[in-house]
Amino acid sequence: MAMIEFKNVEKYYDKFHALKNINLKVEAGEVVVIIGPSGSGKSTLIRTINGLEQVNEGQLLVTNFDLADKKTNIDKIRKNVGMVFQHFNLYENKTVLENIMLAPRLVLKRDEAENKKIALDLLETVGLADKAQSYPRMLSGGQSQRIAIARSLAMKPKALLFDEPTSALDPETIDDVLKVMKDIAKNEGITMIVVTHEMGFAREVADRVVFMADGQILEDDTTAEFFDNPKEERAKKFLSKIIKH
Amino acid sequence: MSDFIAAYSWENIRYLLQGLLVTIEVSVISIIFSFIIGAILGLTRYIKVKRLSAIVGFVIDLIRNLPLLLILFFVYFGLANVGIRLSIFWSATLAMTVFESAMLAEIIRSGIQAVEPGQMEGARANGLTYWQGLRVIVLPQALKKMIPPLVSQFISLIKDTSLATIIVLPELLYHAQLVYGQNTNYVIPMFVALAVMYFVVCYALSLVSRYLERRLAR
Repeated sequence: MAMIEFKNVEKYYDKFHALKNINLKVEAGEVVVIIGPSGSGKSTLIRTINGLEQVNEGQLLVTNFDLADKKTNIDKIRKNVGMVFQHFNLYENKTVLENIMLAPRLVLKRDEAENKKIALDLLETVGLADKAQSYPRMLSGGQSQRIAIARSLAMKPKALLFDEPTSALDPETIDDVLKVMKDIAKNEGITMIVVTHEMGFAREVADRVVFMADGQILEDDTTAEFFDNPKEERAKKFLSKIIKH
Repeated sequence: MSDFIAAYSWENIRYLLQGLLVTIEVSVISIIFSFIIGAILGLTRYIKVKRLSAIVGFVIDLIRNLPLLLILFFVYFGLANVGIRLSIFWSATLAMTVFESAMLAEIIRSGIQAVEPGQMEGARANGLTYWQGLRVIVLPQALKKMIPPLVSQFISLIKDTSLATIIVLPELLYHAQLVYGQNTNYVIPMFVALAVMYFVVCYALSLVSRYLERRLAR
């Protein structure tokens, strides 16, 4: 059973056709990178996976629940599927430690002592143990994003979604965030779907690359095949542009 | 000068303070009720319950765009016409509460709306339910943003209680009028006394607001 499966999914914003006949299967433990020009539907696609955007037609199975079915309880999926946003979305009114401990306490009813231990361990993992008592506004972008990743990991998710996690960061802080993401990809066995323009990251850890344009998936290949031998003309053009930069 | 000394006899000052007490009573009761009602209405308009939110929105807009004085007349004279007789005190309090509920509802709604949508998205993606996200993440942040406009609305409310002098509520302004009605030399001294009393009460409230803002700004 696939972790995530799109079957003929269509999505509209009023008349705008945002996702066109999407078919995509992601197995447990796979790392999939989604790339494509802006406005191609990458963010919309990834946001449908935890129900932040509703799909209009087709089937979207996530951990066996159908998100296209209005009766599905989205909270059950979100418990297992974490998300890291471009702009972090850390809780502004909570300390770093509370940011990480809140959802496990409220949603998983995790024991308080254990919760704290897990949170502190995660802070250690992302290299920010000294920030436990800081508030989000005191953090740099790169630090915020690493906290956001720790917050998602604290839920022990089966899958993690990354929506352009480094696009809002200063260049010198991007590497810290990518390193944390690479460690997760290599060690944790969590299914990862990453929308990004970081081609180095894609090459190093992705199992597959999905190329989108105009709301469609134009190419879906193994990483090596995609970079060495892209088939679609638009994918070739996109790659040559992004690598020149 | 002697007018001032004579005007500020203990008897007159005590009479003004009695009026001030009524002003404060009407204000405090109206603030408490209108905050509760305003919070419910504001939240209802924010969370968009089908139909209900639209109706609530219409009622809020209607009341907000009427003069308080007209609402006061409706409550005092209008209700009496259909057989509901309220005392002057409760007529004034009810009119203030109706008007302020609508004003506060809008402050509360826009305060919630001013919280970054990403905060709720983050909470939902993190596994929290909508209500958990609202209660633990969005509302505490909204409250912080609301304090300055809420307090300035409370200050307006206190000053607006003076309108109830028209239906002869024995509040501060009315008592002052009675005092200078007996001796026209007391007009200016009474105005000065009124200014001082309103200022002290309202300014004290804005100090509380500043204190709260600082405490929540941690």
